[in-house]
Amino acid sequence: MEPILNIENLTKVYGNTQSQTKALNGITFQVMPGEFLGIMGSSGSGKSTLLNCIATVIQPTGGSISILGKNLAKLGGKELAAYRGKTVGYLFQNFELLDNLTARENILLPTTLHGTAEKESRQRLKQLADYLEITDVLDKFPTQMSGGERQRVATARALILHPQLILADEPTGALDSRNAKNLMEKLSGLNQEEHATILMVTHDSNAASFCKRILFIQDGVIFHELRRGEESQQEFYQRILLVMAQLGGGSSNVL
Amino acid sequence: MFSDLILRNSKRSRKENGLFFSSLVISIVAFYLVLSLSKQDVMIFLQKMESDAVNKLLLLVPVFYVLTLGILFGMIYFACKYQLQRRRHEFGVYLMMGMEKTKLFSMLLIEDMMSSFLALLIGLPVAVLLSELISLVTAKAVGMGIIGHRFSLSGSALAFTIVGFLAIKLAAFSILSSKICTQEIGSLLGDEPEVTKKQRPKYVYILSLFIGLALLTAAYTMAIGGTAWQIPGMMFVTELCGFFGTLLLFYGMRILIRIFAKMGTGRLRVFNFRQLEENVIHQSTTMAISSLLILAALCCFGSGLGIVGTNAQSEDHVLDYTFDSYNDIPSEEMLPTVQAILEEQNLTEQFSALLPMRIGHIRTTDAYEGVFQMDSVMDAIAALPKSYAQDILLNNLSYTDKPYIIMQSDYNNLLELAGKPTLDLARNEACVYISADFTNQERTEILNHIFSSHPEAQLDGAQIFLTGNLQTTNLVTDRSITLSFALILPDEQFRYYTQGQYNVYINGVLNHHTVNEIGLMNAISQVNQRLDEANLDDSGISYESYLQNMGRSLFYMVAASYITIYLAIIFLVVANTILGVQFLMSQRKTGRRYQTLVHLGADYPTVRKSGRKQVQWFMGLPIAVAALSSLLGVKAIVGGALAGRVGGSQNAIMLVSAAMILLLLVV
Repeated sequence: MEPILNIENLTKVYGNTQSQTKALNGITFQVMPGEFLGIMGSSGSGKSTLLNCIATVIQPTGGSISILGKNLAKLGGKELAAYRGKTVGYLFQNFELLDNLTARENILLPTTLHGTAEKESRQRLKQLADYLEITDVLDKFPTQMSGGERQRVATARALILHPQLILADEPTGALDSRNAKNLMEKLSGLNQEEHATILMVTHDSNAASFCKRILFIQDGVIFHELRRGEESQQEFYQRILLVMAQLGGGSSNVL
Repeated sequence: MFSDLILRNSKRSRKENGLFFSSLVISIVAFYLVLSLSKQDVMIFLQKMESDAVNKLLLLVPVFYVLTLGILFGMIYFACKYQLQRRRHEFGVYLMMGMEKTKLFSMLLIEDMMSSFLALLIGLPVAVLLSELISLVTAKAVGMGIIGHRFSLSGSALAFTIVGFLAIKLAAFSILSSKICTQEIGSLLGDEPEVTKKQRPKYVYILSLFIGLALLTAAYTMAIGGTAWQIPGMMFVTELCGFFGTLLLFYGMRILIRIFAKMGTGRLRVFNFRQLEENVIHQSTTMAISSLLILAALCCFGSGLGIVGTNAQSEDHVLDYTFDSYNDIPSEEMLPTVQAILEEQNLTEQFSALLPMRIGHIRTTDAYEGVFQMDSVMDAIAALPKSYAQDILLNNLSYTDKPYIIMQSDYNNLLELAGKPTLDLARNEACVYISADFTNQERTEILNHIFSSHPEAQLDGAQIFLTGNLQTTNLVTDRSITLSFALILPDEQFRYYTQGQYNVYINGVLNHHTVNEIGLMNAISQVNQRLDEANLDDSGISYESYLQNMGRSLFYMVAASYITIYLAIIFLVVANTILGVQFLMSQRKTGRRYQTLVHLGADYPTVRKSGRKQVQWFMGLPIAVAALSSLLGVKAIVGGALAGRVGGSQNAIMLVSAAMILLLLVV
């Protein structure tokens, strides 16, 4: 099977020549279709930079990112716009809903940007709204919704065009634990039922325990990898906590 | 859906930037007003009489148009920049969802154009109405009456307003949005990097504060002292001094604010002054420029209104008509000839009085030099302490060797009409006449003081005494004669010295009844029309009416005040917009601080009060500097540029200006 995402030796350097910060220092990994991949690390480890490079929000300094065999560096303006809108769906930590549009309008915005047939969009909207339990808030403005509802509306917006890859940047970062669990269950459900491929950056071990595989990043390099086998979510969570403790305690007693 | 988004965004921008939107409307009004100047009733009327001057003024209209375009472009660019910067994050989200950059660009453009069209929709009717109103009010004020008014919609003014406005808006917006569109999404989405301004050692600020003050002092000394107006290059130097002085003053002002912050113990005093300090540090240049703009506006307002105020009351109007002959009609035939003409045209009833004014030369001698000598007067002037007025008097009065002479009874008739006390001269007495154009209050006072001691003078060898006050009442209605120096002599002496050879001007006064009924301007226009039909050329009579005089002063009044007030409004709007937008932006950036304040236990009234205090200080600083400077500025303008024209009424102008500036400040 072909990987959806192929990242090779990715580097990103911030700052000028006098004070350089290497946010990414040669990262290589692949994401297969249907995967639910988590990326963890302490703050400043480079995980958000990695996600932003994949989302073409920033340009990497070196290395390559290929999606479905296409090198992102070689895409032009129009293709890049289509890539951002259709190939990937992006979930922001702070939702980024446009506050002068209702939930419905927010969700349908990508479809009008990319000229999808209206009937099809409506069907998809209904399906997503039912699944994400946001039918009641569709005609409300973001300011009238709770945080959980906002993030689920944002999720619907990210999924409306059937993206091949969902990029989620700390999606539970601004939610309470109940709403966070709810959202993760929905994302996990989408992964299992619709075989949606999800790449999620988080430092919430609880959220990460929903993933099938987790990459740990420290100082711009991949430092450990966890795979969830047949174990229960609770057991996986314990293993994540263990790695996180070691991450926090320095690298002297790495596994 | 997409168009819906544009609609909503555009609406939101207008709501959130009401200040900027209203500035746009005002700028449209300003464009139309200056462009439709030629269609104003008063201008149409003046074009008939003072066509040269009016055409020259109208030639200036494009210059003002372009000037306004430039200034408003700056304002729009500045305000749009802040507006777009605030929405960076939103643009980032659009691009993240796969919006193409060209689409984002066109979306912003359409949004902006919608606001522009709405501004035009509101602004143009307001502009047309306002220009009509100005036209009506000025027409009414000068006595043209409403009958003369025609509704005038200037098509070219409309077209140029629309084209000009859209052009600068489009240009500013294109530059800005193309800048936005070429940025990386990451930098759009992320918070703007905090630019920390370099802190310099304290003495740098203290030094710049003092140099700024010194430069300003130098600039005003030069401007008020007159150096700036007399030597061509000096004006530029003065302006440079003023400009950099203000910049440096604001640059160094943080030191003062720091001192203020440490004084006193209000609840949020330190917070308020730190906020203010931050604004001053980050935006000292824009604050200085706003202050200069306000200064320019205040000066324009002050001097514009001052000119209106004093011009309106400067000359008393006594005579309506003066008839003159250019053929050699014998002096004694003049009055009957004019009377005959008026009778022929059925105009006799229109005139309440016809008065001859006899003016002649001294014919008892052929000499040209030393016919008249008043050494005692010259000595008295020379003995006065040195002053500008003294210098001018000594110069002007040295050319009085062979003065004109005026008949006392004729002049007394004129005085009676003007409601002034008449002259009573003995055989060996004379009164000095100098046309109002050649003197001013200061000089008149000097001369009156000297004449009060009845100085002795020699007129063709005979001894005479100068007496009474200096006389300045106009001898004719307009300008056919203006005398820089003349003597009023008793009738008998007049006849002797002129040897019966003199000129007669017949002055006419219109019937008050008619004037009150249809307005002076209409009355004169009607009589002019009839006189023009009478073929005056054949009889060798020419006439001039008060209309010319009125037209001229009206023209100066309208031109000077219209343009200065127009510029003042533009400057004020621009400065206000820049300051307002800047303050709102900085408040938005620091909005979180207020949340922190509330968390720390500040109650809402305290926070509100803090906001108010900041507005007062932020707006107050540039305005206060401008106001202080403007008092000196108006004095400099009035004293320098307009010195010759308004002469003695300087104090009146200063008073009016000061009152105006005070009023504006309070508002």
